[in-house]
Amino acid sequence: MSAFLARNRLIVLAYAGMVVLLLVTALFSPGFLSVSNMRSTVVLAAFVGIVALGQTLVIIGGGIDLSVPWVLNSAAIVMALLCGGQDMPLLWVMPLLLAGGGLIGLVNGIGVAHFGVPPIIMTLATNVILQGLILVLTGGSPTPSAPALIQFLSVGRIAGFPVIALIWIALTAAATLLLSKAAFGRHLYALGTSATVAEFSGVPTARTTILTYVISGLTAAFAGMLLTGYSGQAYLGMGDAYLFTSIAAVAIGGASILGGSGHYLGTVAGAMVLTILTGLLPALNLSSGALLVVYGAVILITVSIGSETFAGLGTRMRRG
Amino acid sequence: MDLVTVTGLSKRYGGIVALSDATFSARAGEVHALLGENGAGKSTFIQILSGAVQHDAGAIMVDGRDYRPANPDGAQARGIAAVFQELSLIPDLTVEQNIWFRREPLTPLRTVRRAELRRRTLALLEKYDFPPLRPDQELRRLTLAERQIVEIAKGLAKEPRILILDEATSALPAREAEWLLKLTRQLAAEGRLVIFISHRMAEVRAIADRLTIFRNGRTVAAHEAGAVSDEEIVTQMIGRHLDRLYPERVATATDRIALKVTGLSSGSRLSGVDFALREGEVLGVGGLQGHGQRELFQALFGATRASGRLELWGKPASIGNPRQALTGRDGIALVPEDRRGQGLLLTKSVRENLTLSVIGRFSRRGFLSRQKEAELVREMVGFLRIKADTPEQAAGTLSGGNQQKVIFGKMLLTEARVLLLYDPTRGVDVGTKGEIFQLMRDLAAKGYAILFHSSDMPELVHVADRVLVMRNGRVAATLEGERISEAEILRAAMLQREAA
Amino acid sequence: MSIAERPVEDKMSKPGSDWRGRLLDRAPFLVACLMLALIVGIYGSLQSGVFSLDELNLDTAAAMTLMLAATGQTIVLLRGGIDLSIGGMISLGTVIAATRFTDDPATVALWVLVILGLGLVIGALNGLLISLLKLQPFLVTLATWSILNGAAMMILPTDGGSVPGWWVGFASAQLLGLTSPVWMLLALLVFWAWFRATRVGIAIQATGSNEKSAFLSGVSITRVNVVTYGLSGLFAAGAALYLTTQTGAGSPTIGKDYILPSVAAAVIGGVSLFGGRGHLAGTLIGAFVLTLIGNLVFVMHVSSYWQPVASGVILLLSVLASSVAEKAARGRVQ
Repeated sequence: MSAFLARNRLIVLAYAGMVVLLLVTALFSPGFLSVSNMRSTVVLAAFVGIVALGQTLVIIGGGIDLSVPWVLNSAAIVMALLCGGQDMPLLWVMPLLLAGGGLIGLVNGIGVAHFGVPPIIMTLATNVILQGLILVLTGGSPTPSAPALIQFLSVGRIAGFPVIALIWIALTAAATLLLSKAAFGRHLYALGTSATVAEFSGVPTARTTILTYVISGLTAAFAGMLLTGYSGQAYLGMGDAYLFTSIAAVAIGGASILGGSGHYLGTVAGAMVLTILTGLLPALNLSSGALLVVYGAVILITVSIGSETFAGLGTRMRRG
Repeated sequence: MDLVTVTGLSKRYGGIVALSDATFSARAGEVHALLGENGAGKSTFIQILSGAVQHDAGAIMVDGRDYRPANPDGAQARGIAAVFQELSLIPDLTVEQNIWFRREPLTPLRTVRRAELRRRTLALLEKYDFPPLRPDQELRRLTLAERQIVEIAKGLAKEPRILILDEATSALPAREAEWLLKLTRQLAAEGRLVIFISHRMAEVRAIADRLTIFRNGRTVAAHEAGAVSDEEIVTQMIGRHLDRLYPERVATATDRIALKVTGLSSGSRLSGVDFALREGEVLGVGGLQGHGQRELFQALFGATRASGRLELWGKPASIGNPRQALTGRDGIALVPEDRRGQGLLLTKSVRENLTLSVIGRFSRRGFLSRQKEAELVREMVGFLRIKADTPEQAAGTLSGGNQQKVIFGKMLLTEARVLLLYDPTRGVDVGTKGEIFQLMRDLAAKGYAILFHSSDMPELVHVADRVLVMRNGRVAATLEGERISEAEILRAAMLQREAA
Repeated sequence: MSIAERPVEDKMSKPGSDWRGRLLDRAPFLVACLMLALIVGIYGSLQSGVFSLDELNLDTAAAMTLMLAATGQTIVLLRGGIDLSIGGMISLGTVIAATRFTDDPATVALWVLVILGLGLVIGALNGLLISLLKLQPFLVTLATWSILNGAAMMILPTDGGSVPGWWVGFASAQLLGLTSPVWMLLALLVFWAWFRATRVGIAIQATGSNEKSAFLSGVSITRVNVVTYGLSGLFAAGAALYLTTQTGAGSPTIGKDYILPSVAAAVIGGVSLFGGRGHLAGTLIGAFVLTLIGNLVFVMHVSSYWQPVASGVILLLSVLASSVAEKAARGRVQ
């Protein structure tokens, strides 16, 4: 157990930070720990968490996915358009749009793995292209309201539990399995640590890279559809905030932006921290501007701790 | 009086002692050779002297004053400059920008005076009779040899009183190497001290006034060059008799061909290599550096594009990438040249490194069995006697020898029975070297087929059953039995060079 | 151990000029020039009066904010880093200007200095954080982007405020038939020619080209980072001030529209994301390309929403072109 703690110090710290934050928030706003408030916090965090799942994998592999906002937004808008408020079309629309998100990821992954385009540029380009295409498609006009079924997935409850929280738990379990128990996870960490060593060790580097972007496309598209259910409608720009929060959640969760380390379990804590902060600030009577300042400070602090650990490891290496 | 005096100099990197209690002294106006095996502490010593690394303990006196540079600038301020192997050059700057980097002549607008920069460059190149260089060419366009010459020019441009040359001749063609030796004498005659590091005894013999020998981070001897024989020097460098390092060579090769290579070509570096490697054989690959050995190993492993026919254990094979090479009992495994850049995930555990190539061996439908993995790791750590606190220790914290053992273990866990070992003893301590040679013979006895390259010719002579000598991307000769000797390898490597 | 043991690979290269290699090196820049020529050509064939001083004045005015932001970004990319915080700095600069500027030129001058100083100091802090804590530029500047953006929102929660009329008139002031943005463009090129020839400029390029070699040559990496990111912050502040002459108001969110386009402009212009290579001329052409795409879409009478699609495709094409050229260049070296 202590070995586990030592190896995953940053993840443990992220959870410790989350708990402290919860307690502090409860101090300032006594209603915060109420069941209903926790429930809504978890629901909001789930959207960040689901988007950040793909982002986590991409970052562990040494890349970054900037196409998240408009993959999310595209899925949301196209779903609303295709369903026209009806439930039945969802049965084929959802798989179709998940495949669409995966396809965008595939394009990103192929560009990065086979054509050597830097991830920042590749995903930036797909992002603006999608943005333009969706704008052309909608002409900027609003879309029909979300089907009831998708609303159930986003805001519904099963035995008092928010459905989306259950979905998030299932996805967390799947991601953990993938990272900790599957060959894919081993390949991914090796790839992110050193692409050359991974290649020389027989790791299928291109396939692994592409798969991370595909998963990122899938989770972004999925989150887009759920978010439409949550807001009742799809609108332009609904994905914009998720670029920052998905990367921030990964960073706060202890992953190195250079790749090779981190875990989705850390990202889950990161998503929770970001969302709790959103709840804390109104209690303190602070503006949304202040929230951004706090976000920035929290990122700086967590990555500094991560860097210190690295420095600590370095001295240990030297002292032996 | 001595210009430089070093006493009790020590430096550790993690668990590795790079220097312990080293001493050194040298006079102005002499060429002082520094000798020692790889890992003897020479490079750490000159890195400290040049300000790139700071020592843990000990004292350095230059001109009778204490000397402890915090960085290369500090060294330069005391008149010390080092010429490393193309370490301090900037690929995207031109030759002249590199030579005068950070010391450029300036205009009143604080910009570089380009005409003056050119004038100074040409004057410097002329003064020391440099081989032709184009001052306005970007460094990344130059060959390795030309870069080395630029590095030398950069060192000389600082007008140092002490110039350190680290293996400066190793990258140079013959004529340029001779120029450098002459230059070295010229600098000494000007009253400078030249500290000269080379593996080539003949060069040392040709120019050194005195020499200091390092072994295992310590100074073992200092001599006037005329007062010591080659044999004495070699014995002091190695510290024991050669024959104990190498295991007895028992012929274990069978008639079965493990790897047959026909017409293997790759770019301009490899043109039509043919050979056959037998089961149970250690086949050495020798020759002068840069004649296609690296490309041969990479091509066989699928890390470089190549054309030609391969047969593994009698069956035609096509290897497009390392993943294909490593797959199955008919696979090929490699101990790569660059241990830290190609072989090991330094920040990951010994366990993860060992099993990285064989994840399929302990996973089912893509999911891992940690228990099976632990068994494999335990087995390999025990078999190779890898010295690590736990298998969870980061590979980068191990000593060089143990890091190399992890790479061997990683290779042996694959089912491949054709092994490519590219300079496997480089930077490995003497004890582990012996273990590696013994392991190679043991593996051969078990029916593995081993292709073995070493930059150290005696290793080939003492360990290999046969030696392929490469020249200009081809196999120039195959030496067997009594004919395997350093002299024969060199002869085959250089014969007909005028014609080629 | 023989004097004869010499690598043959290390021949001396043959004398003579390597014009093909040099051409391949400049390929990304040339591709950018070609793109600009193509866009201007199409634009000119669809619209009259494109080849005029007026058009140059107009387009430069439209592109100048991006150009200023991208100048800073180019310095950072040359160093091998990235600066996302310029988005926050631009927002912050506009809201300070829109809330503090008065009709009194002295007050404006004071606040201009404050804003520029703020950019310099905050940028320098970025550089310091990156060096001292050994952090990744991407994350550090992402965090400072958030902080600056938040600060801007605290000063001015929504778009608004105002700047004096004479300040807005700055962009249309003319000298010798050229408006001030065109003069700024020329000034940027002069600055670049100067900067790249200074020791600091060379050290920044060298550090981006190979950090370890630069360090071994005695370059202080901390100092390089402080100067690099400081300049980037300064140019972002300049971009903010210029932007207020265009919008006449402050906006706490407008800066994010310049973060990634500033990188895109540089990349289209042939600046390497891996450091050490690139020129401001390329970046400025890239900024023109991104700006003129909007004009082109407009005169082609298609939905203006095609503009992002077109710029994304151009970005991808130029990156692919340079990666092909790089592969060709590498093939030649080997």
